[in-house]
Amino acid sequence: MTSRRGFLAGLLAAGLAPAPSWADLGGPAFLAAARSPAGRYLLAGLSETGAIRFTCPLPGRGHAAAAHPTRPEAVAFARRPGRFADVIDCRDGTPLARLEPPQGVHFYGHGLFSADGTRLFTTENDYESGGGMIGVWQVSQGYRRIGSFKSGGIGPHDMLLRQTPGSVQLAVANGGIETHPDSGRAKLNLPEMRPNLSLLSLEGQVLDVMELDRDLHLNSIRHLALSAQGVLGFAMQWQGDLGDDVPLLGLYQPGSAPQLLGEDDPRTRNLRGYGGSVAFDPEGQTLAVTSPRGGVVQVMEVGTGHILHEHALPDVCGLATAKSGLIASTGLGLIAGLADAEAKPLHHHDLAWDNHLVRLR
Amino acid sequence: MPCRQLIAPPSFVFWKASDLKHTVFALAAAVSLCANVARADMVDEILDDQILPAMQALAESGQDLADVAKTICRPGASPLRDAYAQAFDDWIRVSHLRFGPTETDNRAFALAFWPDSRGKTPKTLATHLREADPALLTPQRFAQSSIAGRGFYALEFMYFDQDFTSAKPHEYRCALTAAMARDIATNATAIHQEWQDSYANQMRTASGRYQNKTEVKQELYKSLNTGLQMLADMRLGRPLGSFDKPRPKRAEAWRSGRSQHHIVLALQALQPLAIALADGDQDLTVQLEAAFQKPILRAQRLEDPRLKGVADPAKRFRIEALQQEVNDLRALIESDLGPSLGVLAGFNSLDGD
Repeated sequence: MTSRRGFLAGLLAAGLAPAPSWADLGGPAFLAAARSPAGRYLLAGLSETGAIRFTCPLPGRGHAAAAHPTRPEAVAFARRPGRFADVIDCRDGTPLARLEPPQGVHFYGHGLFSADGTRLFTTENDYESGGGMIGVWQVSQGYRRIGSFKSGGIGPHDMLLRQTPGSVQLAVANGGIETHPDSGRAKLNLPEMRPNLSLLSLEGQVLDVMELDRDLHLNSIRHLALSAQGVLGFAMQWQGDLGDDVPLLGLYQPGSAPQLLGEDDPRTRNLRGYGGSVAFDPEGQTLAVTSPRGGVVQVMEVGTGHILHEHALPDVCGLATAKSGLIASTGLGLIAGLADAEAKPLHHHDLAWDNHLVRLR
Repeated sequence: MPCRQLIAPPSFVFWKASDLKHTVFALAAAVSLCANVARADMVDEILDDQILPAMQALAESGQDLADVAKTICRPGASPLRDAYAQAFDDWIRVSHLRFGPTETDNRAFALAFWPDSRGKTPKTLATHLREADPALLTPQRFAQSSIAGRGFYALEFMYFDQDFTSAKPHEYRCALTAAMARDIATNATAIHQEWQDSYANQMRTASGRYQNKTEVKQELYKSLNTGLQMLADMRLGRPLGSFDKPRPKRAEAWRSGRSQHHIVLALQALQPLAIALADGDQDLTVQLEAAFQKPILRAQRLEDPRLKGVADPAKRFRIEALQQEVNDLRALIESDLGPSLGVLAGFNSLDGD
């Protein structure tokens, strides 16, 4: 007679055990980092409507997370200057691997997996040269670093995967700001900074570089979104004087000129020069941006560039595309659904939600 | 209001008739009850003693400005200057209350488009004068026109900037300034109306936009911070620029010599709000009063109406010291007042990446 244990061992030996998947964790739609009332940091999986599906502990305050496309594994990046990133088994918080960039390099807080889940890409600062890098890690070999290439600019921050018929690219927001860990987060090159949005092949070949006009060179391109139509949305952070009147949101369809949104609308001032997260609605008709400093989310129309809605949400930062409309998270624990003119509270968790909401594929 | 009844004179007389021990006990009870009751009424007090009267004052002086501007066109005429000064003062006193009625239809921006880093206001006004389109001057059309050409800062160009005070055509300039003043009155009235008709009640009952009383208090607290931030970063920070590159022409309303005056007005309007939010906490009230008094006195003594001193090394340090005192005030409010209202320093807003 076969014992249960023996049966399972046999399955494992035959490679037939069901591979762990996100379904084991209730099939979360989003990942978000948070701080608990006791001051501990954790990673949470959220349902489509913001209910907590799971939580697992994090070693410290994170910035953003990258989710493996199939396995319930997440990479939690430390805040800048990030010396490490932890790969976590989200089923119980077990650390699976610790990623450390080579000497002279630190993480910039964002990363992503290739669509097949075999490789992880990380945005990095080669701080002696000041150049932006993308690190490449082989997932199947315990997240071994297998290479790196230039990011196409300085200070790469957010990054996403853009798939078009016949090609897959990395879209990288090169924020343009040079920093060095010896001087903390001090910005070393503001007078000369030139942010860009670069499209790279997965092997690091530069396919396209978008720069805005010279008079916006202090507008650091930092966060990205991708529409159903393959249009890139980007949110910026103004490094010039407070009170300067500048757009903070734009669209880029490679091959066309970039389009800035909300220009000439005084309400862009309510963003206080700081775009925190950016996301399209599911149809790609609107692009929204959060500003924790202004405590607002602004939703702008892709076709006209006009601001359609403004939602007041204190300490809002996380934002992602939901099944219908958008979902936002705040440092006060609120998860809100945004649809048309309404910001509907969905959940109020006793947690401070951190910078980003990451959509699982 | 039970609190006021308890400390009303008849109660004291009654209790004083008994022995001292009872008096002390009764006073202690009255004080502690009072503290509880006062907490519940904080929002009413701020609405009834501060926001509603200030919004009414703005609506009235805005209307007065519109009336005067209809008949007087000469920018130097004192009734016109007085009416403009009064209405602008009343705006500055509420300029931190940037939520609800001021944001409907972009009313606050239409009253006050500043700072204007791209010089849109003079460009818009020059276009208006060049085109001299009579249709623009109807209330409906004017209300649809560029916000940069409306409100107090645009009117300041028309009244105080030499390029505009005698601009031609004379007739059109007069009609334009009258339309601008009328537009100010319309917006000021609309803001006051909405406060009176619905918004004050929403705040009192924590309904509509607000889920609970804490959110109402946090909104008021945020407006206090907005005002102080505006003061430190815009009214002071923009003209200060850097030591090597001061920017005196960025001072707020320097053409009319109101830059220094606005700093004093703003501090004087923010102080009672901060005190009310301290909600009877004696230690904090004393600290806040002292922390406001320092920059108020310094601002009053600057003797620099246009803040030209930012470019004068001998005077600049006084303006820098003022900015530092405002920032000290912000730090005190964030560390001591915020937590009592359930507001923690922004987890995301102070992080940034």
